[in-house]
Amino acid sequence: MPEIAVRHVVSASSADPTHCAENLLRPDTYRKWKAAQPGEKQISVILQFEKEEQIHGIDIGNEGSAFVEVLVGSSASPSEQDYEVLLVTSSFMSPSESRSGSNLHRVRLFGPDKLVRAAAERRWDRVKIICSQPYSKTLAYGLSFVRFHSPPDKDSQSKVASPKLTKFGQFKVKDEDGISGSLRPGALFFSRASKAPPPDSAPQAEAPGPSYAAATLQASAAAAASPEKPSTKASPKDPAPAKRRFELGKEKAAPSAARKPEPKAPKKPRAVSLGAVAPPTPSPRKPQKEGTGLGQGVGPEAFERLLQDVVLVLSGFQNPFRAELRDQALAMGARYRPDWTPDSTHLICAFANTPKYSQVKRLGGIILRKEWVLDCHRTRRRLPVKRYLMDGAASSSSEEGSENEASPGQLPSAPQGAEDPRLQRPDAPGDKAEPSTSQTCPERDGRLGLSDGSEDESGDTDDELRRVEEEHRKKQQGGRDPGANPNDDPYGGSTDENTEDEGQSPSDQPIPELPDLFVGKGFFLYGEFPAHERRLLTRYITAFNGELEDYMNDRVNYVVTAQDWDQAFEEALHAHAGLAFVRPRWIFACGRRRRLVPHQPFTVGPCA
Amino acid sequence: MSKRKAPREGPNEGITDFLTELANYERNVSRAVHKYNAYRKAASAIAKYPSKIRSGAEAKKLEGVGAKIAEKIDEFLATGKLRKLEKIRQDDTSSSINFLTRVSGIGPAAARKFVDEGIKTLEDLRKNEHKLNHHQRIGLKYFEDFEKRIPREEMLQMQEIVLIEVKKLDPRYIATVCGSFRRGAESSGDMDILLTHPDFTSESAKQPKLLHQVVEQLEKVHFITDTLSKGDTKFMGVCQLPNEEDGTTYPYRRIDIRLIPKDQYFCGVLYFTGSDIFNKNMRTRALEMGFTINEYTIRPLGVTGIAGEALPVDSEEDIFDYIQWKYREPKDRSE
Repeated sequence: MPEIAVRHVVSASSADPTHCAENLLRPDTYRKWKAAQPGEKQISVILQFEKEEQIHGIDIGNEGSAFVEVLVGSSASPSEQDYEVLLVTSSFMSPSESRSGSNLHRVRLFGPDKLVRAAAERRWDRVKIICSQPYSKTLAYGLSFVRFHSPPDKDSQSKVASPKLTKFGQFKVKDEDGISGSLRPGALFFSRASKAPPPDSAPQAEAPGPSYAAATLQASAAAAASPEKPSTKASPKDPAPAKRRFELGKEKAAPSAARKPEPKAPKKPRAVSLGAVAPPTPSPRKPQKEGTGLGQGVGPEAFERLLQDVVLVLSGFQNPFRAELRDQALAMGARYRPDWTPDSTHLICAFANTPKYSQVKRLGGIILRKEWVLDCHRTRRRLPVKRYLMDGAASSSSEEGSENEASPGQLPSAPQGAEDPRLQRPDAPGDKAEPSTSQTCPERDGRLGLSDGSEDESGDTDDELRRVEEEHRKKQQGGRDPGANPNDDPYGGSTDENTEDEGQSPSDQPIPELPDLFVGKGFFLYGEFPAHERRLLTRYITAFNGELEDYMNDRVNYVVTAQDWDQAFEEALHAHAGLAFVRPRWIFACGRRRRLVPHQPFTVGPCA
Repeated sequence: MSKRKAPREGPNEGITDFLTELANYERNVSRAVHKYNAYRKAASAIAKYPSKIRSGAEAKKLEGVGAKIAEKIDEFLATGKLRKLEKIRQDDTSSSINFLTRVSGIGPAAARKFVDEGIKTLEDLRKNEHKLNHHQRIGLKYFEDFEKRIPREEMLQMQEIVLIEVKKLDPRYIATVCGSFRRGAESSGDMDILLTHPDFTSESAKQPKLLHQVVEQLEKVHFITDTLSKGDTKFMGVCQLPNEEDGTTYPYRRIDIRLIPKDQYFCGVLYFTGSDIFNKNMRTRALEMGFTINEYTIRPLGVTGIAGEALPVDSEEDIFDYIQWKYREPKDRSE
C-alpha cells in the first residue's frame, strides 16, 4: 500500500504554536499537532494531497483525542462544506482514560473494510480530520501522525507495508486481531480482562532501560509525601490495576523502573529535568537496611550535635521539601548557607549539573544526595557520606560492598578524607586503589555486563562504544607510534589493553586534526549515562566543536539521552521547538564516519 | 415490555389512572403511538408530583402536560369524570379491542381483526381457538394467571432458580433479570432475562446453542412449562415456581430470555431495565452530547450526523460515562 503524499495543511481550526498542524506532514512521530488550548471541544485540520487519490487505508496515531473522524473532499468542489465521511467517528480513548490522561498515544490502523465504501471507492484530494475530546478540560489534544494509503499496485504488491510499519518508530501498534486493527466493541475490555493478570507483560522489550526521569518524577510525588521512605518502595504498587491497559503510556515507567532491581549499583540521580522546574529526585536504589540497630541511635543531646561540624548548602530542591530537608539538617546541628561560602562543607543536591553542583565540584566540596540528611535524621546516626556521594556512579558500585560493613556510628573524618581527592578529579586515572575504576571497561562493570545480555539496545551501544574507543585509540596511536598496532582488524586488540590505553589517553595525548562536525550546534546531555559514555560523549562533542550546554537553553539543538521519551521531553519540546532528541550512538556514529550523519535514525520518539 | 403496568399510587392517582386509560386507548384502538406516549409522559410527571393537584393550570407547569391535558384535568377535577373517556368506555368496539389486547399474543392489530369478526370476549376466543396461533392459545389458556402481577418475593425466587441453573451450565454466563424488577418494583408483570456469554460477540457467529441449552436446562427442572416462541436469540415462554410443600401452587408466569452479544450486553441491560421514559430521556441527553444510543450500542455522531463505530462498553456505567451523565442506579430510573 503506497503512502499518499500530503502536500500541505490547508487549514486547522486550532493549533499550538509548537505542535502545529504542519507537524502531521513530518515523519517524526514525536512531532504532533495539538490544539492551542486545552479543553477545546472539537478541533479539525484539512490536508491537501499531491494529487487525487483513492484512499485504501488510514493509520492514525493519537495524541489525547477521544474520538477521531475522517472526511474526504475535493478542492475543486464549489463549496467547502462538501465533505463526505470516509472513516466514521472512531474511539481512541475511553472517558476514564481521557480523564486520567492515560493511553494518550493509541495507534489504530484502519483497513479498507473499516472505511465507508462509497467514499473509499472514489478519488479525493482533500481530507478533513476532526478530533474531539469532551472528557478532559485540561488536555490539549490532537494527533501524533496520520498516514493515508492508496490501494496496492499490482506490481508492488509483494513489498507491501513492511517499510511503512517501521515508520511508527517507537509507537506500539495496538495489539489486535487481524491487520484491520479495528477497535471492536468490547474488544478493549476483553483484552483487558485477559491481559491484566501479568502486569509485567507490558511491552517493554525494546526499551533500553527504565525511563529514569519519568520514574523519578513519579516517585518524587510519593517521596515528597514521605521523604524518609526509600523511593523504591514508593512505586511498585500499581496505582490502579483495574485500569491497566496493554498499551503505551507513561504509567509503564513506574512499574518498570521499580521492577528492575538494579542488582549492584545504586544509581546516582543524574536525571536533570529539562523543564524549568525540577522536583526533588529521589534515586531508586537498594533499600536501606532499615531498622538494623535503630535503637542504637544517639540520644537527644547527641542528636542535636550530630552534624555539628557540617555547613550545608542545598541545590535543586523546591519548597516545601526544601524547608523540610533544611529543618532536618538544622535539627541535627548542621548550619545552613543559602549559597556556597568558603566555610561550607557539604552540598546537598537534587541532581547533578545544577550551577551550584558545578561550582562546588570545582571547589572540591562534598556533594551528596538528599538521602544522606534524611537517613541520618531517621536513623539518628551520622552515616558515612560515601554511599550518598553524588558523583562517580560507577565507582560506588563496589563501595557498596564495603560500605555495608562500615561501622555506622563512625565519624566522617576518615572516609571523607579518602573520598575527597577523588571527588575533585573524578576522571583521574590513578585511581587504581579502588578495584571499581572499571569506568572504561564495560565488561568489568557489573551493571553493564548484566544489561548486555538482556537488552539488545544497550548491547549495541556497547559494541559501538568499543569500536569507537578502538578507533580512537588507533588514531592516537597512529600519531604517536604507527608500528605499535599493525593489525587492521578493529576487534583484534584485546579489550583489556584497550581500556588501559583509554584510561591513560584523556588529555596528555596529542589530538589529531578533527573536523568541525558540530560547529554551531548546541548539545545537552540528559539523564543517566554510564560514566565512561558520558565522558566519551563530552569529549566527542567538544572535539568536533559542538557547544556542550550545562542546562537546557535556547542554544541547545540536540538533546543526547539514553532514556526513553518522557514528559520532560515534551515540556522541553514545548519550550524549544527545534529540538531533536538523539541517542548517544549518533554522536559516535558521526565520530566514526567523521562527518555529520543524519540524526533521524537515532532519534528518540515518544513512548517506546 | 409488559402489558400490565403496575398501578400507580399517590395523591393524584385519579388523574394518572385516566391518563393511562387514555394512553392505552390511543395505542390499542387509535393506533396513535405518539398520543399514547404523550399521555404516558404526562401521567409519569403527575405521578411524581408530591402534592394533590388542584387545577389544570397547576399541572400545566409540569413537563409533558400541555393545554389539552390540563383542560382534561380541570374537567376531571370539576366533574369527577371525563366525557371523552365515558364515550370510549361506552363504545363497544373500543372496549372490546382494549380488552382483547390483554391476552398475551394479541396486539392492537389482531384485536381489531377479531373484533371486526365479532370475537369480543374470552368466550368468543375459546370458541374460535382455531383462529388463534400458538402464542395466543397459550395466552388464552393462562389468561387469568398472566393478568396477575408477580410479587417481588416470587420474582426473587424465580431469579434464584434461573441464576443457579445458568451457572450450573457454565459459570461464564452472565444473566440479569431486567424490567421493573431490576428497578426495585414491588411487583412485576413478567420476567425478562438478558443472557450473555463471553464467547458470543457481535463479530462471532450466531450461537443459538447458548440460549437453547439454558432453556432446555430450565425445562428439565420444570421451571419453564411452555414455549411461546424460540429463536436463535430470543425465547418467549411460560414458567412456574415449584409447588410448596403445603400444596400451594403458584400461578403461571410469562418469561422472556434474550441472548445478547457480550459487547452489546450492557446497552441491552440498560434498555430493558427502562423505564421506557427514562430511556427516552437518556437518549435525548445522548443526542445533545453527540451520541446515539439504542438497545445494542452507543455510537458517537460525526460532524455530518453520521453515527460512528460502536463504542466499547463494559458496564452500564460506561454508557453514562460517555454521555457525561451521573450514573443512576436502576432503582432511580423509574420515571
